[in-house]
Formats: sequence, C-alpha cells, structure tokens
Amino acid sequence: MSFHSLLLTVAIIMGIWGLLGLGLNLNYGDTGLLNFAHVGFFGIGAYTSAILTVPPPTGSLADRVVGFDLPIVVGMIAAMLVAALAGVLFALPSAQLDGDYFAIVTLSLAEISRFILTNEKWLTAGVKGLNNIPRPLSSSITFDYNIFYLGLIVAVMIGSLFVLTRLTESPFGRILHAVREDEQVPKALGKNTYLAKIKSFGIAAGLAGLAGGLWAHWSYALTPFQFNPNITFLIWTGIILGGIGSHYGALLGTFVIVFLREATRLLPELPFGLSDDVQFLRLILIGALLIAVLYFRPHGILGDKERLSAGTTGGGE
Amino acid sequence: MLELALQVNLDPQFVWNGLVIGSIFAIAALGLTLIFGVLDFILVCYGEYLTLGAYFAWVAYVDFGIPIFVAVMIAMIGVAAISYLLDKTVFQYFRADDRDRVTLLIVSIGIAFILRNVIRIIWGTRSRAIRRTGAGVTESIEVGGVFIQPSQPIIIVASLVALAVTFLVLRRTDVGIAMRAASDDLDLVRLRGIDTERLVVYVWIIGGAIAGLSGVLLGINAQVRPVMGFFAIILIFGAVIAGGIGSPTGAVGGGYLMGFIREMSVALGIPTNYKIAVAFVVFIGILLWRPDGLFGQSTRDT
Repeated sequence: MSFHSLLLTVAIIMGIWGLLGLGLNLNYGDTGLLNFAHVGFFGIGAYTSAILTVPPPTGSLADRVVGFDLPIVVGMIAAMLVAALAGVLFALPSAQLDGDYFAIVTLSLAEISRFILTNEKWLTAGVKGLNNIPRPLSSSITFDYNIFYLGLIVAVMIGSLFVLTRLTESPFGRILHAVREDEQVPKALGKNTYLAKIKSFGIAAGLAGLAGGLWAHWSYALTPFQFNPNITFLIWTGIILGGIGSHYGALLGTFVIVFLREATRLLPELPFGLSDDVQFLRLILIGALLIAVLYFRPHGILGDKERLSAGTTGGGE
Repeated sequence: MLELALQVNLDPQFVWNGLVIGSIFAIAALGLTLIFGVLDFILVCYGEYLTLGAYFAWVAYVDFGIPIFVAVMIAMIGVAAISYLLDKTVFQYFRADDRDRVTLLIVSIGIAFILRNVIRIIWGTRSRAIRRTGAGVTESIEVGGVFIQPSQPIIIVASLVALAVTFLVLRRTDVGIAMRAASDDLDLVRLRGIDTERLVVYVWIIGGAIAGLSGVLLGINAQVRPVMGFFAIILIFGAVIAGGIGSPTGAVGGGYLMGFIREMSVALGIPTNYKIAVAFVVFIGILLWRPDGLFGQSTRDT
C-alpha cells in the first residue's frame, strides 16, 4: 500500500471513529452517562444498512435468506433510525440506574446484540460475514474512490458537529449538563431527567448507526467480531484523551487512537521478533497512554477542567 | 406449557454443567465483590486477573511439571502479588485524592488492555489446555446418564473449600470483619481507628488470590486463552450485582444462579448460542426488580 493511499485509509477510519467519539462524548461528556454499548449501535447500524442494500442471496450454500437490494441512501437512513431505536430501547431500562450499574447493563446489552449478529445467520450470515456490500456511486467516480469517500465523511462530520454544537448549547443541552452535575437539581426544577437521558442515548446511538452505515459501505465486508466490546473501550480512551465534554477533543482523541492503531504499520522491522507483536504492543501503549492522561491531565488535551465542572461545556472551541 | 417443557427437557446433564460453571462463578464473584465492596469501583481488569491465574498454573503444571495443587498455589500467589503491585504502582494514585469511581473504572480498562496484550505477547493467542502432553484426553465418566469430566468434581470441591476458607476469614478474623464493615461504610471503619489503607492492601491480596484460583478452575474446565477472563467478566459482574454488591453470600448465590441459568436455559428451548445472553437478561431483570440484589439488603448509598 502506498503511503498516499494508506494516509487516505487512515483518514477515513479516523472520520468514522470520530463520529463514534462525538456520540459517546454527548453521552458521557455532556450527560454523564456511562455508555458502554457504543459498539453495539455501530454494529446495528452497519448491519442494518448492509442487509438493506445487498441483493438477496443466490445459491444453496448461502446462510442468509434476506437481502433487499435497496438504494444506499435508504440503508444509511435506516441504519441511523434503527440504531437510534436500539439506543432508546437500551436506555429505557438502564436510564433509571445508578452510574456503574448503567455501565454494566449497557455493556451486556451490546454483547447481546453481538450474539444476535453472530447467531441469526438467516439475517447476517453469522461468522462467515456479510460480503460484497455495495459502495455508493462506485461506478460514477472517476478519481480515487477514497478521496470521494473521505469527502462524504467530512461532510457528515461537519453536519454532526453543527447539530451537536447547537444541541449542547440549547436549553436541552443545559438539562443534559445539569443531569451530569447532579441529577437531583434539574429533577427538583421539574425537568424530566429520565427522558433527557433517553434522548441523549438515542441521539448518540443514531450517530453511531450512521457511522456504522458509512463503515459498512466502505469496507465491503462485515463480521460480528468487528463489533466486540474492545471498540467501545477504545472510543472511551479516545474521548478521555481528547478531553471530556469537548466536541473537538472527542474528535482529536479518537483520531489519536486510530492513528496509533494504523500508523504502527509503517514501523520498521523491530528487534527480538517483536514485529509480530506490534498489534499487541500498540494496545499496551494505548492502555498506558490512557492511565498517563488520567494521571497527568485528567481533563484531556482539549477539555477544560473548570468549564467541565461548571457544567457549561459546549462547542469546546 | 412451560412446566411441560421443563419436565421434558430437564436433562440432569444441564444441572451438572450448571453446578460446575456455577462453582467457578461463585468463587470468582466472591473475590470481585470483596474488591467492589471496599474500593467501590468496577474493576474491569479482574477478568485479566483470572486469565493470568490460568496461565500461571498452565506454565507451572505443563512446562515445569509441578504438581497441580502446587501450581494452583503458585497461580494464587502470583495473581495476588500482581494485584497488590498494580495497586501500589497505579490504582493507589487514583484512590488517593478522592478521584471518582468513574476514573478508577477507566484506569482499570487501561490496565486490562496492558495485561491482556502482555499475556498475548508472552504466551501467544493459541488456546492451551491445563493437561500434560502425552496424558491423552481424559475420558468422561458416565454416572446415571450424566457425563462427568474427572476434573469437574475437583472443581466443585476446590470451589467449596475456597468459599469455606474465605468465609472463615471474613467472619472470624479481625481483617475479615473489618473488610465486611468497610464494604458497608469505609468512613465509619476509618472513624473506629482501623488503618483502612492496610485493609485495602488485604482486599487486593485476597481478591487477587481468589481471582487466580477462579482463573485456574475456568482454565481447567475449558481452555486457557488470552481473552478467557475478558469474556467471563460480564457474567461475574452479573453474579455480583444479582447478589447485591459487597455481599459475600449474595455473590456466591449470584454465581451459582448465573451458572445454572446459563446452562439450564437450554432446557427451556432456548438455543445454546444464546445461553450467555439469557444469563445477561436475567441479571438485568434482577437489577431492575431489586436494585440491591436478590440476597442483599441495601448495601450501597446512592
């Protein structure tokens, strides 16, 4: 892979993960919700869009029986809606729970959705994976396809940033921040905090679903194991690195994580046969980085500690 | 209808499997609830403590030919030492200045990443069996239509012994009593003039040793893999929550419950692939229905 195309690939993955980071930041940074289900919404979105846009299977060897051959736009919108719906369904029981109970319940719900992706072969083709997912405008793009796709992702990202900035600076955003600081206060003022938490969760899930759709239509192939809980943990690491409560911090932090994951491919040959272990070494590095950031700079690279505790985080500019 | 299905499918094999798995979860949950109760945060890397225990025993038993009981001791001491060292080198600094429990949770995610991948680098990603080469595959014994692996009764007994010893420590020793009190209210214990820092050290060491043992049992019953603890941890948390956080008896009950539900869901006609999902749904249901757990009184102030 040439350096140029590697750079494009990394940028696209950064963009998709950035969307996941933005949503998680809305949940944790703005609302204080310990969302450990984020990869679940990513997976639900990816599979929804893929299933709706692939043609029905042919041949007797096929595991799956469905495939709707719909336009990709329909798939993407459905990915967003279905993931948002899943987010609301996940939040309905969880939102009444205390912080770390919420974490464990959402983590389990994401695992349940991964079990479903793995086992409902008629729908998802199971561990074999869903292949030949169509790419948008693949025949009409005459230049480097990845440049086109990066443009698409950048457009989605700008749109999401705009919406999220407006949202967190609106009265609704202030309710979310109040829930984060002390749920009893907005409650005492007659605000429905339960509903606010569900909305926050649904919006973040919808965004993660859209990210999933973008991932599915770029990567051609999906397998359930791509959506294991480690992704959630890595996105968490990203938003903490970048600075909780800041949109740009969430983006920057997830970019750093993707960079660390992908850039290690460019490393020269390492001594002691460690080259085979690079994939493990970089996760060790990410773990150590996470702990170091929490110790030396708990508010992350771009997060503002005072503003975070004052409960007025917004655009993060 | 449901009763009929139960009568038709309640194979004693599932009961046996549930008992074996439940024994492992019970002891694992007991260790976690001690840590959770006193330190009050979700220790994500507890799963990796289990994995480390399994690998220590595997190395000692298979590579060095050490007798299995000694290998188990080595695993327990090894994990207890790592648990202690990680507190001294990492967790301590995040406990010191009253950082919130979310920070500690996330620190433990970082530790989990580090441990799991150090394990992969040292021992590779292949799955291993705690069985010496040339020993051959041990045959299952059939007792009244139930297939029993020779190691399984040992797992159950080992778990019972460990449970008994831990409960003796908790009820009869000063450290154990202080530990139970600390799990109710750490500040009150401090007021009584008990050195809570020393107590915390005991909690890490006892919790680590228990984690090491549970890891070995898990490895003996199935395989030793770098992700074995990572994928068991949610059910162990489920057991802790079902029993009420910080309640030792609750954790043991929760552990057996999770084990039985996992295996017996098959009897209700639920496909095997979903047995873990069923256990998840059950503990979420318990949490919503009785937030303090099935067996616990209110163990936690909100």
